[in-house]
Amino acid sequence: MKLFGCLFIALLFSACSSEIKNDDIRVEEETGTKVSELTIEEKEEIKRDEQCIGFWVGDFEPNFDEDDEVEDAFRFDTETQTRTNKINISIDSLIEDKLFGHSVVAGNDRPFSGDVLEKVEENGQIISYSFVGREPGDHKNDGVFEFIVFPKENKMIGTWEANKKERVYKRKYELTRKEYKYDSLIMLDKTNRFVNWRRSVEEVTQYEDDGKMEEWIEEKYASTTDKIFKTNASKKLLKKSEVENLTKGDLEIIRNTIYARHGYSFKNKIYRNFFDYQDWYIPVHADITKSLTEIEKKNIQLLMRYEKNAKEYYDYFGR
Amino acid sequence: MQQSNLFSKGIKILFYVFLGYFGYLMVLITLQYIPINFDVAFLRIKQDEISKTHYQVAFFMHVYTSIFVLFLGMPQFSARIRIRLKSFHRLTGKLYVGIILVLAAPSGLILGYYANGGIIAQLGFLVLALLWFYFIYLAYVYARKKEFDKHRKFMLRSYALTLSAISLRLLKLGIVHIWELPPMDITRIIAWGGWLLNLLTLEFVMWFLKKRKQQITRN
Repeated sequence: MKLFGCLFIALLFSACSSEIKNDDIRVEEETGTKVSELTIEEKEEIKRDEQCIGFWVGDFEPNFDEDDEVEDAFRFDTETQTRTNKINISIDSLIEDKLFGHSVVAGNDRPFSGDVLEKVEENGQIISYSFVGREPGDHKNDGVFEFIVFPKENKMIGTWEANKKERVYKRKYELTRKEYKYDSLIMLDKTNRFVNWRRSVEEVTQYEDDGKMEEWIEEKYASTTDKIFKTNASKKLLKKSEVENLTKGDLEIIRNTIYARHGYSFKNKIYRNFFDYQDWYIPVHADITKSLTEIEKKNIQLLMRYEKNAKEYYDYFGR
Repeated sequence: MQQSNLFSKGIKILFYVFLGYFGYLMVLITLQYIPINFDVAFLRIKQDEISKTHYQVAFFMHVYTSIFVLFLGMPQFSARIRIRLKSFHRLTGKLYVGIILVLAAPSGLILGYYANGGIIAQLGFLVLALLWFYFIYLAYVYARKKEFDKHRKFMLRSYALTLSAISLRLLKLGIVHIWELPPMDITRIIAWGGWLLNLLTLEFVMWFLKKRKQQITRN
């Protein structure tokens, strides 16, 4: 009994509450989605009267030549996919060869302005426009776009080079023009690449190669269920019974699908990767707080309540 | 004989260390609910229920009293205390019985009725609360009748159910680490498994010891 008493007292002093609960948690509400912070006043009306005007959407890929000074990690990257982001280059106006637009990619919404460099005409019709568009330069990732638009073929081809030669500073893209319209009924597409997604867990296996030990690092994705394809948090208020048996991954994806429907451009790399592979998804805004519906706001609060619970207690001793 | 003595002593010490450590974790869990707050820990996902007054009463009654039940049960295992400190054994025993009969088990019944995880989980927790009440009632009756062998058996059964507070959480942890099930599926499993495992283990051990005793006396 004495022994037990001593041990117990020792434990009282040594352990802390993190044994029964995960204290180190964060339910991430990205800056542009915070329901409490309402910032955007009015959506800009975008004129679509000209052939080039509109959202040009597609992959924004790293683009390095042989002789570019760049770390191999950014050039030959097993993660290349994760460095490719979906971009939306919006041409907002084109008046007397003066170009105004903005691009939305990876959570950044940056304006650019520039000129028409060249127009190619055939039989009195313009076949292609060449543009240069410069970002203001007061942001660390600002740079210069150069692209050609082929309106008939619904195609934009171009490059982008950052002002600062850091990380992935050269990119290329081939985009098509897309219409964006908010639709609360849109659901995740099952052909999506990262069907099983929660967080990646690195699994390291060692093997011998020519007498040297090598490590193979594999990323494992786990644990969203089929419910992410069936649960729509934009259409109607979710009931407790629809939410309580969802896994952590389900809860996160269902909540972030609300933001994706509004064209939110994700800052979080993992969400970005997930939604970039949805055909319907177009990054339109870096802040969608104002456009969330009442139903969505309530569902977001409910989902976050369960997310917090899952993160704190799911794989811990108790509550 | 000496070796088996040493062995059983080792098991006893291990058991006390186990009880001490997890009892301590249960104290930490209880402390999460002090002061009374309706938007914390488990209650965060019981918002519909916690708005009802009878659920509020039942929940905090259960949380604040069960922790004492867990600790009041611990010294009852010691033969030395039972023999030398009879009055202590009786006093703590009566408190143990009284708290379960009047406070912890009835409130557990209400919590069981509102349990997460649907009818399967609700039934599991309801049966647990009823058996908890029934075992401790019988144990008390046998003590009054001075039928101490039966008293002992039902006290052990009662404490096996008391320990489900710890075992169901450990079971949950075990399941989660092997197989990442959705949360309510886990609740359904632990609503039954959390106490059935304890009870079945106890019954097996009692049966085994009885059989061994019979063999020894026969020889």
